[in-house]
Amino acid sequence: MASSLRLRLAKQSAEALIQKLQIPCLPIDPFLIAEKHDIAIQAKPNTAIGVSGMLLRHGEAFGIMYATNISSEGFQRFSVAHELGHYFLEGHIDHVFKDGDVHESQAGFTSGDIHELEADHFAAGLLMPSHLFLDEQAQHEAGLHAIEELSRACRTSLTATAIAYAESTEDAVAVVLSTGPLVDFCCMSELMRSKGNFNWPRKGTPVPRNTATAELNAHADRVATADRETREADAVAWFGGDRSLPCVEEVAGLGSYGRTLTVLSCPTLEDEVDDEEDDASEESMLDHWAHRF
Amino acid sequence: MTRKTPPFQEFNSRLRAARDMRGWSQAVLAERTELPPSSIAHFETGSRKPSFDNLRRLAVALEVTTDYLMGRVDEPTLAKDGDPLFRDVAKLSGHDRDLAKNFLEMLAKQNKEKNGA
Repeated sequence: MASSLRLRLAKQSAEALIQKLQIPCLPIDPFLIAEKHDIAIQAKPNTAIGVSGMLLRHGEAFGIMYATNISSEGFQRFSVAHELGHYFLEGHIDHVFKDGDVHESQAGFTSGDIHELEADHFAAGLLMPSHLFLDEQAQHEAGLHAIEELSRACRTSLTATAIAYAESTEDAVAVVLSTGPLVDFCCMSELMRSKGNFNWPRKGTPVPRNTATAELNAHADRVATADRETREADAVAWFGGDRSLPCVEEVAGLGSYGRTLTVLSCPTLEDEVDDEEDDASEESMLDHWAHRF
Repeated sequence: MTRKTPPFQEFNSRLRAARDMRGWSQAVLAERTELPPSSIAHFETGSRKPSFDNLRRLAVALEVTTDYLMGRVDEPTLAKDGDPLFRDVAKLSGHDRDLAKNFLEMLAKQNKEKNGA
């Protein structure tokens, strides 16, 4: 099975669980879900570094330990939800306990292992299920503001929320995570992917010069103090392509996480698509009438 | 007798054997586990593998241990207590190893209480 399909199914599996448990609103409580399934949960001391989470078993008793050395509530909830992914997803037993009764994880879309990625997508679907996420999203203006409001509603990290937002919005949006001079990760909305004719910046690509992101990243203290900036920009500087496309670049330092979140919104692309659809609709109508007469 | 085998090498045959032992049809087992009947059929043919949640539901309904279903012990009611319990914790590094070890001890106690031992 293609990995993209497996990841989508993992997310849908979490969303189905939320529906089955009849959880009607955000935020989703992964601790309560664990408790309802008789899974013990224990926090690691906040002084302990190491793995972000562990799923453990003895006989019929299951438990999850999660790291608290990163104080972000969103990160901790995601770590627990990731371990729940290993518990609820089919086919994870071989992977998780292939050698024993302890499985350790590094949650947060950093692993290349398909089982770990599936658990990450399960966690995203559990904490930000589409049906509830989209309802909340519809209440906010597009861009960084929407991501912040969704993050508050879902009690998820800005990073995880931004990725979910880019994957679900109908607007022309790209989300970029960067550290210092380099891009760590980029996620584009469907509209950006299908209509933008852009090059997808890969991990390790330099952050474009003369952008608000590059300037903020040049000062570690601005990142550490969660400084932010909004500026008019051109998508061509970020993603190449065959033409200039004005966009808004919103940048936020992510504090002690050390990364920067950039949200690029391209309303011009949305307008172009709307115009295309209007033209197509008009042509279709004329064609329809021409056939009748 | 306990032994170390990869999980699910024997799962489908163990599930079938445990269901036959209870004299239940796949439909009855599905009802008792609240799983779709098609899932039971897929598990028994080996075309799908269960989640831990599925595994635990099946073990509880069939009154066998998850270790039996996973092929880690041969007796249906035996858990893999005979093995050195914490050997796999050795894979973890430093502080995580101690934390996991203590947590597993707590789970072991919880498991024992559940089984009324």
